[in-house]
Amino acid sequence: MSQPNPASQPRLIEYAVDRVLDETNTDTKILVLARRDGHPDSFPIWIGAAEGHAIKLALDTTLTPRPMSHDLIKGFMEHLNVSVRRIVIADVKNSTYYATIYLENNGVERTVDARPSDAVSLALRTRAPLYVTEDVLARRNTSNLESWLAKQDVRTSSKQQEVRES
Amino acid sequence: MITQMHLKGLMFDPYNNAYIVVLRDEDGHEMLPIWVGKAEAGAISMALENVAPPRPMTHDLMKSILDAYDAKVISVVITDLNENTYFAKIHLMYQDSEYTVDARPSDAIALALRCSAPVFAKESVLNKQSSEELEQWLENLKPEDFGKLDS
Repeated sequence: MSQPNPASQPRLIEYAVDRVLDETNTDTKILVLARRDGHPDSFPIWIGAAEGHAIKLALDTTLTPRPMSHDLIKGFMEHLNVSVRRIVIADVKNSTYYATIYLENNGVERTVDARPSDAVSLALRTRAPLYVTEDVLARRNTSNLESWLAKQDVRTSSKQQEVRES
Repeated sequence: MITQMHLKGLMFDPYNNAYIVVLRDEDGHEMLPIWVGKAEAGAISMALENVAPPRPMTHDLMKSILDAYDAKVISVVITDLNENTYFAKIHLMYQDSEYTVDARPSDAIALALRCSAPVFAKESVLNKQSSEELEQWLENLKPEDFGKLDS
């Protein structure tokens, strides 16, 4: 996996999926990313319940009887001989994060715009590395997570509730 | 033998807390209900209503990836419906070769709608489908259940 050229690309920090937290009051989940270099900074992203479920299935390497949507995307890519080189959370606008999926086929690289939840779901299934640009790290607002975590610390240690969907 | 099916409607099934995608053939002789989850129904409904979401949803991403490499969805075939396991095949054309990919009917239909690809059902699926359950459904249906999805 070649590193992006630092001269032409923004500096990237590598992250891994830490966990998916339940937000019990609403139909959302919180995807928490952790830095791979051990820096104790976590990167939270609010996502939909179905999207959180798709990530949890991949995190727990749960085998489903039928291919789920992201397994299907992976299936397409295997047929077309397309691989996911990396995913980058490259922008944030009005508290919405934007991800870019870098694809490669026979040396031809293409980029596709995606929601971070889809990009992460795909990265987990294809073992592609996941980055956040320094620019996004600098511009995000973490205050709401800190307060949310402080309130939730007790509860998140208890067992997490599964979302049920087909 | 396969029969081309058209999406006739999408309705909520309160007893199973699921949604039913109703496919019908051209003449209206054959009806095929497919039970899907909430997220899957949402993906189909957005394409049906031509709603452009602010960010690409999962099946929009699926299409973007295929578009990025000029792969085309030629057709989708519902091949089998068992009690809890539904099967479909997505036929792709890529660099003059055809590929067949295994999928759930809900993903296949959500993608077909976005790619304007035809949806077919295998005759064995149509024959297997016991109409009893569906008839019971249709009897209880109120016109508003079809809503704006009915064409």
